[in-house]
Parts: sequence; C-alpha cells; structure tokens
Amino acid sequence: MMQTSTAAAQLTAALSFYDKSISAAKVILTGFVVVFAMLFLLIIIIKIYSATIKGAQDAADRRAKRKERVMEPVSGESGVHIIKRPAYVTPPTVEDEIPEEVVAVIAAAVAATMGPAVTVKSIKKTGSGRSAWAHAGVLDNTRPF
Amino acid sequence: MEIINGFLEAIKGIFVGSGIMTLNWQNYIMIAVSIFLLYLAIKKQYEPLLLLPIAFGMLLVNLYPSIMAPPSYEWVPMATSTDSAAAGHVTQMIDGKWYYQNPQYGGLLYYLYQGVKLGIYPPLIFLGIGCMTDFGPLISNPKSLILGAAAQIGIFVTFTGAIFLGFSEAQSGAIAIIGGADGPTAIYVTTKLAPEMLGSIAIAAYSYMALVPIIQPPIMKALTTKKERSVVMEQLRPVSKLEKIIFPVIVVILISIFLPDAAPLVGMLMLGNLFKESGVVDRIAKAAQNELMNIITIFLGVTVGATAKGSTFLTLDTIKIIVLGLIAFSMGTSFGLLFGKLMYKFTGGKVNPLIGSAGVSAVPMAARVSQRVGQQENPGNFLLMHAMGPNVAGVIGSAVAAGVLLNVIPH
Repeated sequence: MMQTSTAAAQLTAALSFYDKSISAAKVILTGFVVVFAMLFLLIIIIKIYSATIKGAQDAADRRAKRKERVMEPVSGESGVHIIKRPAYVTPPTVEDEIPEEVVAVIAAAVAATMGPAVTVKSIKKTGSGRSAWAHAGVLDNTRPF
Repeated sequence: MEIINGFLEAIKGIFVGSGIMTLNWQNYIMIAVSIFLLYLAIKKQYEPLLLLPIAFGMLLVNLYPSIMAPPSYEWVPMATSTDSAAAGHVTQMIDGKWYYQNPQYGGLLYYLYQGVKLGIYPPLIFLGIGCMTDFGPLISNPKSLILGAAAQIGIFVTFTGAIFLGFSEAQSGAIAIIGGADGPTAIYVTTKLAPEMLGSIAIAAYSYMALVPIIQPPIMKALTTKKERSVVMEQLRPVSKLEKIIFPVIVVILISIFLPDAAPLVGMLMLGNLFKESGVVDRIAKAAQNELMNIITIFLGVTVGATAKGSTFLTLDTIKIIVLGLIAFSMGTSFGLLFGKLMYKFTGGKVNPLIGSAGVSAVPMAARVSQRVGQQENPGNFLLMHAMGPNVAGVIGSAVAAGVLLNVIPH
C-alpha cells in the first residue's frame, strides 16, 4: 500500500504546473457541466411526468365528478329521486359501554382508510389479554406467514 | 526440570509474540486515537452507528495487526518424497530437497474487508438508504436538484487544491469526494481511485458528517442576511404514489445510460426506493433497511477502521486529507447557499437560501441544520421538508459526481 502511495506521489511530482492546471481545469469543467446537465435533465423529466400524471388524474377526477352529478338526486317538478346509495343503512351494532365519540372516531378512521363505500356493521370490545401494542407486534411478526 | 524449562519456554514464546514486543509507538498513538473516537461515539453520540465500529476496528488492528493480514504461504520441508502431510498441497524441489506449500490464512478482518475493496458494501448501504428515503419533497419541488448539484462544486474545486498539494490525480479525486458528505460514496470512490488512503478518507468523511451541526451554521450565517433567513416558503404540493413509483425508474435509466460509472450507487439507491414506494415487497424493504443495512454497517465500519494502521495513518498526508476534506465540505455548503441566494433573487424572495446548505448529502442532518438555523430567525418557520428536497438531491448529485470522477480520472 505504501509503495502504491509513494509511486503515485512520484507520478504527481513528475507532473508540471501546466499539467496539473490542465488536469484540474478538466475535472472542474467536466464535473460542473455533467452534474448540472444530469440534474437539469432530471428536473425537466420530473416536471413533464408530474404534469402528465397530474393531467391524467385531474381528467379522471372530472370524469368521476361528472358521473356523480348524474347520479345525484334530481329535485324539481318530476319529483323523481335517483339515489346513489341505499336510502337506509343499518346503524352499526354498538356495545352500550362504548361512547358515541369513540364510535364516531372508529367510523371516521375506517372511512378515511378504506373509503366511504365501506359500512361499519358492529363495534365491540374484545376481551383479549393483550394490549393494543402487543396485538400490533404479534400482527407485524406473523403477517409474512 | 524439563517441565519447568518447557513452561519457561512457553511463557517466553507468549511474551515475544505479545503486543508489548511487537507493537510500535505509532500503534500506541492510534490506540489512544481510537479510544478518543470511542468516547466521541458513546459519550457525544457523534454518528455512533459508524464511528463506534470504525473506532473499534482501528483499536483492533493496532493491537493485533495480523487481523488484517492477507493470506500467504510457506514452504515446509517434506520428511520423505511421499510425506502424507503434503497430500493435496503444491510440492517443489528446492536445492535437492522436497518442500510442500503450506497456506497461511489471512486475518478475520482481511476477508470482511474484501466487501469494501471490491466495492460491494457501499452500494448495499445505498440500497438500505433508498428504502428509507422519501423523494416526495424533491418531486414536488424539482428545482431543489439545482441546489443538490451546486453543493457538489466543492468536490471539483478541492480536487484542484489536492493536486497542487502534491497528490496524484487519483488521490486528489478520492480526497475531493469528501466534499460530497456521503460516506458510502466516499468509500466507493476511494476504493477505486486510491485504496491506500481509505482509512484517512473514510474517517475524515464520517467525522465531517458528524460535525455538520457545528461546521455549517457559521457559514450559513456568514453568507445569508437576516431577511433571507426569515423567508417562509410555500407549502409543498402533495405527491401522488404513481409519481413516487416512476421517479426511481426514471432516475436509474437516465443516470445509468449517461454515466454508467454511477450506476452501482444510483442503481442500488433507486432499487431500495422502489422497494419502498411500490408497497408490494414490504418484507424485502424491511430487510434491506434493517437487517441487511445493519450487518453491512458493522462490516463496513470495522474494516474501514481496520485500514487505519499506525504506520500508514500517522503521516503528513493524513493531516492534508483532513484539512482538504474540511475545505471541500465547507465549499460544498457555501456553493449550495450561494445558489440558494440566486434562487431567492430569481423567485422574488420565495426561496429561503438556507435550504441550499442541505445540498451536501449528510441526510437528514444537513436538512435539520437548515431547519434549526431558520427557526433561530423565525420560530414559526418550518424549513425541514423544503430542505429535504436538496438533501436527497445531494445524494443523487454526489453519486453523479462520483461517476464523473471515476470517468475522468485515469486509475
């Protein structure tokens, strides 16, 4: 290792001031140009594909909204009501000791993660000896199997 | 009497082979240095995940240098030409006598070091980093890539300083990469360009990364005005899952086509990120960012530390490397800030220049420093997510800079 180092140092010592300047200028110029060119190119590509994806998603959203508008209840002279969802949804079966606020939080969490199409049918306390964290740990460890 | 003599001979043999007889003064200095680094890692918690194994590797190799010894062989004389001990060994007649080749295996750390020497560990570390990196802030504000590029200028300027200080082109390239503030990249480039300097460069790189909160703030304050530091930036737009999935694929295609030398680092970084963003290989993503990353960190740290043998580390070159590394790092920070100031001007004061200093990789420490310095001016200012853009751009930028150095410098 030391031999390599010494050999390299001797090699550099052999380089003249001019050679060193040329080498430094070459590295600075190439480095500056290539790094900026690559990252500028990335900026352009990110902008293009972000705009494309955003455009496609906006179009999909507009289509979905238009569809929803068609499905909305039409109020007026005809008196015809087109209803998107069933008029009556059975409320979830909730154990007495669970407060309403907790039911609301659980329903909101379910709606936020799984979408509004899912209905909470029942909420009940489970009598497991494990804490919520222990449950999460067991789930995490057993999920791959 | 024979037993006593045998006992004394054995004790003498143990004493002669002990460190007391074989170690030199340089080893003892390095032992002291390694204990000091252990103190910094444990008590001050300076990058302990890396500094602790590095310091211990340094301690081990200076206590027992053979732990890094390469394999060798010795010629053992054969009792007869059909000596059974020679079975399976290479035999040779020297001066009319038969000898067989007896292999001497290398030290433990020598074998583990092959992962560093062959450039295997750094890309694997990048795989884990990719699994832990969220490129969302960068995708939502792609202009931050400019800051990630600007912070790499320090690398190329330091190359000039190194070459005029008497280092070879290859050595200068390896020293300059410290300015990228990215440990795995620095190790990867050094193993290719100047493996003899690996110990000094790795230790300098990791030390400066650990010292980011001390080195950067004075430069940040010196190069920016109070008004610039107080800029509150607009909230970043949310990035869709599809954009995050496409990003690693595009980056790896683009960089690998134009700069193949950067492909091992960028490829692994983006593979890890795709593991994370795709959401379909959770188990692999977890393994890459936890078990694999931890195992590689142990091997990398200990073996890099073990390259710092007293006789090769305690030289004037090491001092030069440490000084040049500090210059490279400070210049990277400065150029990032200066480009941040340019963006501040061009956007009519919408960009806080402090996020420019996060363009040096050091994820997420450099972004945290931007956040902290920004909050000193305006406690209600949250720059962290804005600084994460240039910060992760810096990782890509330093890998590209590494590709340029490997491409341009003959080695």
